[in-house]
Amino acid sequence: VTIHLSLILFLPLAAGLLGAVVPRGLARWVVLAGTVAVLAYAIALLIDFDSGAPGLQYVTDDEWIAELGIRYQLGIDGINLFMVVLTAVAWVPCTLVAAFREHDRPRLFFFHLALGETAVLGAFMAQDLALFIVFFDLMLVPFYFMIGGWGTGDRVRATTKFVIYTLAGSLLMLGAAIALGVLSTPDGGEISFSIAELQQRSVSEGTQQWIVLLFALAFFVKAPLFPLHGWVPETYRSSPIVTIALLSAVLSKVGVYGFLRIVLPVMPEGAQHWQELFIILAVFSILYGSVLAFSQDNVRLVVAYSSIAQLGFIVLGIFAFDDKGAQGAVLQMLNHGIVVVALFLIIGVIARRAHGSESLSELGGIAFRAPVLAALFLVVTFATLAMPGSANFIGEILVLFGTYEDKLVYGLVASLGVVLAAVYMIRVFQRTMHDREGPAVESREIGRLDLAAVAPLVAVIVALGLYPHFVVDRTERATTASIEQARDVGQEVATR
Amino acid sequence: VSATSYGWLILAFPVVGMLVVSFGWRVLPGRTAGWIASAAIFASFLASIGALVDLEDHPEDERELVDSAWTYAATADFDVDVSILIDPLSVFMCLVVSGVSFLIHVYSVAYMGGDRGYARYFAYLNYFVFSMLLLVLAANFVLLIVGWAFVGAASYLLISFWYRRSTATHAGIKAFVINVIGDVGLVIAAFLLLNETGALDYQGMFAGAEDAFSTNDGTLVAACLLILVGAFAKSAQLPLHTWLPDAMEGPTPVSALIHAATMVTAGVYLIARTYPLFELAPAAADIGAIIGTATLLFAASVALAVTDLKRTIAYSTISQIGYMVLGVSVFAYGAGLFHLMTHAFFKALLFMGAGSVISAMGGIQDMDRMGGFRRAMPFTFVAFTAGALALAAFPLTAGFFSKDEILAFTIERGGWYWILAIAGYLGAALTAFYAFRMVFRVFFGEPVAEARELEEGHLAHHPPANPATGELEDTDVGFPAEEHHIAEREWPMRTAMVPLAILALVAGAVQIPGVTDVIEHFLEPTFEDSRYRDTAPTEEAEVIGLIVGGVIALLGIGAAYVAYIRRRGITLELRDRYSRVHAFLVNKWYFDELFDAIFVRPFSTAGSFGRRVIETDFVQGFIVGGATGVVRAGSSFARAIQTGYLRAYALLLLLGVAALGLYFLLASS
Repeated sequence: VTIHLSLILFLPLAAGLLGAVVPRGLARWVVLAGTVAVLAYAIALLIDFDSGAPGLQYVTDDEWIAELGIRYQLGIDGINLFMVVLTAVAWVPCTLVAAFREHDRPRLFFFHLALGETAVLGAFMAQDLALFIVFFDLMLVPFYFMIGGWGTGDRVRATTKFVIYTLAGSLLMLGAAIALGVLSTPDGGEISFSIAELQQRSVSEGTQQWIVLLFALAFFVKAPLFPLHGWVPETYRSSPIVTIALLSAVLSKVGVYGFLRIVLPVMPEGAQHWQELFIILAVFSILYGSVLAFSQDNVRLVVAYSSIAQLGFIVLGIFAFDDKGAQGAVLQMLNHGIVVVALFLIIGVIARRAHGSESLSELGGIAFRAPVLAALFLVVTFATLAMPGSANFIGEILVLFGTYEDKLVYGLVASLGVVLAAVYMIRVFQRTMHDREGPAVESREIGRLDLAAVAPLVAVIVALGLYPHFVVDRTERATTASIEQARDVGQEVATR
Repeated sequence: VSATSYGWLILAFPVVGMLVVSFGWRVLPGRTAGWIASAAIFASFLASIGALVDLEDHPEDERELVDSAWTYAATADFDVDVSILIDPLSVFMCLVVSGVSFLIHVYSVAYMGGDRGYARYFAYLNYFVFSMLLLVLAANFVLLIVGWAFVGAASYLLISFWYRRSTATHAGIKAFVINVIGDVGLVIAAFLLLNETGALDYQGMFAGAEDAFSTNDGTLVAACLLILVGAFAKSAQLPLHTWLPDAMEGPTPVSALIHAATMVTAGVYLIARTYPLFELAPAAADIGAIIGTATLLFAASVALAVTDLKRTIAYSTISQIGYMVLGVSVFAYGAGLFHLMTHAFFKALLFMGAGSVISAMGGIQDMDRMGGFRRAMPFTFVAFTAGALALAAFPLTAGFFSKDEILAFTIERGGWYWILAIAGYLGAALTAFYAFRMVFRVFFGEPVAEARELEEGHLAHHPPANPATGELEDTDVGFPAEEHHIAEREWPMRTAMVPLAILALVAGAVQIPGVTDVIEHFLEPTFEDSRYRDTAPTEEAEVIGLIVGGVIALLGIGAAYVAYIRRRGITLELRDRYSRVHAFLVNKWYFDELFDAIFVRPFSTAGSFGRRVIETDFVQGFIVGGATGVVRAGSSFARAIQTGYLRAYALLLLLGVAALGLYFLLASS
């Protein structure tokens, strides 16, 4: 088969638009069919992908807004291959679970779900900076509507914070991108936002520094990293469960992906300038997120803060400027995405067995009549805490090895995060599944629908654990190329 | 079939057993799950014998076979395969692990009968054995860490097997977290070694270490100390031992399997496996020897005062592993591993006997409430006494030869190692004393009500309750079953105990100084490069050691006889007179309290500080609200959202992008 990236990109949106015109009851199935088709296409892409080939594959390159030098450029390489696959994998179970629940205005909800997938796929596949920003901001729209329209609790406050934070970040990035485009244009040359072209051009080191900082602000908000995570608690608490699953699993990766795709290759000197600061932020996020995850009562917030810690590991791996570290970060982006989707779907199942409660103090003993649910949750728990034997462990050990290489002390401090992860995750497992039944709990086995959504994810987790090299082998080339320049700059600085 | 094929089979059988039992949990009737799981481990044991036979066919210098199945992860200099190493050491460990585990499976078939989590129990047990075999067969550090962590996970699951008991789940978490600390130690050690030697597989690493490190090189000593952290977490050595006594919350056969015979010896195996590193870093090995010695004395002293039968045996385990750690740390590999083997036999046996007694007591574990079971449970009495004799190193039993070989090697090193050896002999006296303290308190004296009832043919029943807290329980899944099983009435339990009792008494025969030396000789190909091969004690020295050890054992047993049979009240008098000492021992030297103050409380305080101060004041207050402009902008923005302007706006944007998207879809294809 010939792979057309535009097809995979706009398939969900097409399904969403189709869903908007068919009868109310059918919309969800149309959108679900769209996500399944995307998954099938992504698997074909994965099989067809040539791990030995350098550079981008399946490139689509058309003129878009010629006057501004903006092109419609898509492409796949080792860095975004598994991000596209992750997106496709994550959307199917989430849409499936949503499809069997009742929603107000279902056509609209499923349209947003579909639009979200297109936006995320676009952000991952875009090879033009302007196009990337279009999709990056487009992601905000459906998620804003899903949280504001279908959320629970104090959703207005949650959406407000979410929008302010991400929009502020996006605007800064937009400014930075324009500045980069303009400043990198050689005298008499034409402006371009193509990432490959920007890599060839250069801006002065001083300019790079502030542009990188603006990009980083946008990406750290999205990730999120301490101290830019102010939107996290409310958003996590108030969102519909499938929305937050996707937000946490997939959208959080767009930010860190941006470092590998844009910041490090295009502005290596600027990235090198902030290396130390970003590593400190990452390490602090690991410890801070872990400690806070440990002291939360709401299950969602445990996952929320644990995500801050996990994203800290990923940023640490990227900014270690080391082959192993970056490789581990890319692997961990995939791993974290998959376990988080499974985690949130399971949290949804748990809450339905506790009259909607997500408070650890009211849960407990759910394993009693639900051994299958407990077994699935156990595998996901072990993977989340990066137990050796899971692919998460390989990701984490590569990140740590990469960090020890030049930043031994930071790496050692980050290692504490590994222990803390064991503490907070096993605590969640115990407080939900074990001990006597909590006051709100009615133990019931996992239903067929949720099983159909969660079991395949658990199977993927197990398969990745057995053969993580499947991922490493395909991502290695592009990852190494992405950090190469930044690493060389770092070594130059060190010898100087 | 080659030795490495046998190696893969050793790993495959428990996995198959685990899968069959876990997916068949609903349909397997009666005790089928238990027998399937037992058969899987027996198959592993047979495969281990196959590997042994095949390995013996190889010439001595070709007994290190590596086989790789697939690439686990390879990038930059991090290059790891899923590969196993078959050599005398790993085959020796496989034989001990699968052999003893098989007997414990058979014992469990009856002991766990009636428990509502029967199939789950055996799935966990098979998973545990698989993990342990993976740990000993792994040919590189990363796979070792995988097995290492799996073993910890299996132990967590089995400790909190009765998962509705909060004491059990807490004990499980404690074990899990301390084990993870050990894992992290190993990860950092692996990095340091990879960085300097360029390899993660044992053979490459040891070869590289010779060139990369001078003796007592700082990095190497650091790496070895980190390996010790891993080893001590798993093997419950000071100060990472606190999880093991709590782990007694698990079912008794679990204590026998994991917390006596196999898992806790992993640390000893690891030190032996990485011996080329420790020989290059004798400073680290010395620290290992000192901590091993301190642990053996500490745990033996606590075992004198604890009244919970299982916890007494648990402290005894900690103490005995201290001997093994001392052994391998003074480079007496054969002796340390020999003691590992004999200890597996007699300690599993002791736990099995204790399980039988606890069943007869209707679940009660406190020795203060036991007594006089000699006539009611003759089989258990004989078997338990056989185990106690071996533990006490009574002359000619298995423990007699193995323990004394360790101490003889320690003396041979001379200098300050003498202090370690003397401490070892002191510990031996305490060991003999507490071993027979158990025998005399449980089986001698006036029969308690439960013992009398049993003599009349009834098994005592108490309302189901948590022995630690007295909370009442039901007998559904997540709590122990209503029915209890004793060896006198269950042939599978006796079948498991008889071979162990015989081995506890006579297994020393394989390694009598100057006469047999089977273990030493078998393991030689693994340790042939050892620099300390020739520093073995002379035969005379070993014989003198045996005589001294025998006398000490007899003195200890005699003292226990006086204290618990001849002059029964004396222990109470002593307890009252030295109440402070007693409190110190009963509270296990206050290690739990110390840890609570150093680790647990600071982290909870940090957590609540973060939640209350940093999150509310700094992140939400300063960053979100501090810049009031942002807040105002935010609120007007929010109003805008509510009045619908933004909604219209966003929709427009959306439609625009959608239209563009469609356009490009058409344009590009």
